[in-house]
Amino acid sequence: MSEEAKKGYSVPIGPIHPALKEPILFTFQMNGEKVEKVDFAPGKAHRGIEWMGMRRNPVQIVHLTDRICGICGVSHTLAFSRAVEQVAEIEVPERAHYVRTIIAEYERIQSHLLWAGVAAHELGFDTLFYLAWRVREESLDVIEYLTGNRVNYGIVQVGGVRRDITADQFPRIEASLSYYEDLFGKMLTLFLEDTTIKMRSRNTGVMNQQEALELCAIGPTARASGLNMDVRQDSPYAAYGDVDVRAVMPEQYLGEARGDVYDRIVVRLLEVKQSIDIVRQCMDQMPAGEVTAEPKIPKLLALCKKAEGEAVGRVEAPRGECLHYVRMDGHEQPLAWKVKASTYSNQMSWLKILQGEQLADIPIIVASIDPCMSCTDRVTVLRDGRRDVLTKEELHRLSVEKTRRLQS
Amino acid sequence: MIPVFGIDPLQVVGGTIAVAVLGVLAGLVFLGIDRKVTAHMQARIGPPIRQPFRDVRKLLCKDSIVPENAIPWLFNAAPIVALASAIVILLYLPAGSIAPVFGGYGDIILVMYLLTVPALAMVAGGFASGSPYATVGSQREMVTMISYEFPLAIAIIAVAWRLAAAGIADPFSIATIAANPVWSVVGPLGFAGCLILLVVLAWVTPAELSRIPCDTPEAETELAGGLLVEYSGRNLALFYLASGVKTVAMASLAVALFLPWNISGYLALPPAAGYAADIAFFLLKMLVVVFFSVSVIRVGMARFRITHVVSVYWGYLAGLGLLGLLLVVLDVAFGAGVIA
Amino acid sequence: MSFLPTIPEILKQFFRKPATNAFPAKYLPPSVTGFLARVGEGTASIHPPIATPPDFRGKIVYDRDTCIGCKICTKICPAHAIEFIPETKRIRIYVTQCIFCSQCNDACPVNALHMSEEFLIAAENRYAEDLIVE
Repeated sequence: MSEEAKKGYSVPIGPIHPALKEPILFTFQMNGEKVEKVDFAPGKAHRGIEWMGMRRNPVQIVHLTDRICGICGVSHTLAFSRAVEQVAEIEVPERAHYVRTIIAEYERIQSHLLWAGVAAHELGFDTLFYLAWRVREESLDVIEYLTGNRVNYGIVQVGGVRRDITADQFPRIEASLSYYEDLFGKMLTLFLEDTTIKMRSRNTGVMNQQEALELCAIGPTARASGLNMDVRQDSPYAAYGDVDVRAVMPEQYLGEARGDVYDRIVVRLLEVKQSIDIVRQCMDQMPAGEVTAEPKIPKLLALCKKAEGEAVGRVEAPRGECLHYVRMDGHEQPLAWKVKASTYSNQMSWLKILQGEQLADIPIIVASIDPCMSCTDRVTVLRDGRRDVLTKEELHRLSVEKTRRLQS
Repeated sequence: MIPVFGIDPLQVVGGTIAVAVLGVLAGLVFLGIDRKVTAHMQARIGPPIRQPFRDVRKLLCKDSIVPENAIPWLFNAAPIVALASAIVILLYLPAGSIAPVFGGYGDIILVMYLLTVPALAMVAGGFASGSPYATVGSQREMVTMISYEFPLAIAIIAVAWRLAAAGIADPFSIATIAANPVWSVVGPLGFAGCLILLVVLAWVTPAELSRIPCDTPEAETELAGGLLVEYSGRNLALFYLASGVKTVAMASLAVALFLPWNISGYLALPPAAGYAADIAFFLLKMLVVVFFSVSVIRVGMARFRITHVVSVYWGYLAGLGLLGLLLVVLDVAFGAGVIA
Repeated sequence: MSFLPTIPEILKQFFRKPATNAFPAKYLPPSVTGFLARVGEGTASIHPPIATPPDFRGKIVYDRDTCIGCKICTKICPAHAIEFIPETKRIRIYVTQCIFCSQCNDACPVNALHMSEEFLIAAENRYAEDLIVE
């Protein structure tokens, strides 16, 4: 045993632990209450969705993508559809873009409120957890009203959407928007002005702008560190080109970005307000017309079958950029389908933001990047039984091999 | 019965059993009420008030698992010591107009010491569990204990000292404190000081009971239950009962120190009914104490970090307590207090 | 209480009605299946669940007589929940496999498939009679 290891002790957190909502294994080298060294091993929630996808046609995969994540399902669906639409050169009707935007923004509202509740629970503040989740119900109800289901919406299809948002549904949407607008100020006060929350989250898990850049952080995590980036703003998709959408930065509320947990709470709460505004704008500007390029599914299937080529679909999921790569070669099934969820980019920042923090702050710091392991876990190594860590060189070699295989 | 060392054994044994049973029952009822009240404040329905009884019954049916790394005798002894010592505290505290069983043999300083014993038992049990979570939890519990002890001592000593300054004999005896409400001897300055001390005591209660914001030793989301993480079955049930009894003990300590009035004097009632009325009033006062110092506090804020516990209790609350003490002292110095 | 803004909120909430929908009963019955059985007998009353919206996607309904056996639904079902029976030229739907996307409803050329409002369909047996639609 080395001198260093003798001094402290090691605390495993995970794969199953109350602080974690999804399985992942953290190993902390502790010195008293202070974290000396962090290591984590993802891959515990691998379900082989890509494998399943390679044996199905795009029309089926669309509904599979809904189930990659229970919270940001429509982001995956949208990213996948956008990729397939580009490969198959399907033009999505204008109105479908607006419907997609409205659903995606409702998803952002419910996801951020869910996160706010989880964050409060990690801090031991169960009252706010219950409040946030109670308030979240409203967005779920609207989603259920618009799509027919609360969680796996199944509304996006390649080439458009499966259900239109009709004029008689507008009052219900409007009611929920004003419900959230009335509540927003109160939520800000309860979350941001509470002394105990400030004590726990200010200056914990700090990641400055430079570090966020180096660790390739994305989404609210990056914005909280002062990086002005948002796929909706930088390369608009769906109807985001037509509406006013600017990256939400903590500066707008606090005047500066410190990149701590508090800033991440601020960014996510302000994004709820932003989503309300975007839905409003979409409702005002919604053009008339069809909502799908090809309503007949067998025909759509034939269109996809003919397609050849590759494309990337990028979407700003509630947790950050979500990317789907699809390659088709004239068969029913895609030749390759790769999902890169937002947490994949964000999880490396754990190593930085957990370093030197207290044991007590581990749950909130881990939760502060809003990790989604079921989104992220695309790989697990079973072959050699024991070896579940791949080095950089090995990974590079495997990637080159796979690219060669795809190209041949 | 022949008295042994001036104690009537029958009275003591009978009284102890009665206090133990009633204390445990009252503890579980208070836990149930706390859960229900908490749920309502969070817009939930919450479990029925009898839920803690069901929990205990279920835990008692289950096996106690002793982990491989544990020290079995210490691991098994800790919950028994915790419950027993929590019950012993009750023997020194009055309930309504009923004098404590051991009223004549111990004073408020003893109660202060006894209050640390259940916590120490939990610490010992945590260290004996042989789990890193439990070890961290035990360390935190010790730190918490050291932190809240000082403000608690200030609040207790100030009250007793004020009574002494008012010329009351034997001011550290609980019977004396309960018989002479401190509010009746202080002047305006002292009144303000006592109010501050009451707030300090209300804030010490959650730390003493390991409730949010001071549940760092257990910290579900951090330590998965901390020093209780390895406990199950009968042992966990005993700790659960001990936490209920401790709730009763802290509440009745607060009542004895700051709200000792009885209502039987104001209502012309026969002696038996008078006792019953006093007990009912006593339970009501305890309920108020539990509501404000346990339920509201635990619903209204986030968990402290262990460093916060230290800074809040040693810094703010000790400062607040000293301010209260200073006001009480000034009260005496300016002679505003009426000597009883 | 500007430094603890939650305290006034919870004290106000204390005097209001809880937000929970007490489904199926105010307190969890000792046995949920037993409770539901008693509800069926009429000796206990169930607190109704929140109503489903129009076009809710619940358990699938199959109109066997309208079906023409074209097999489109088996091809586009993401969950492979639909089986084609060659002897009868009709389909069989395994509800435990179904992911309630209702894509087969959209694809069916003769409108033989629909989604009902039924969602309380959990059971212990995967192959229970209610959970296979044919």
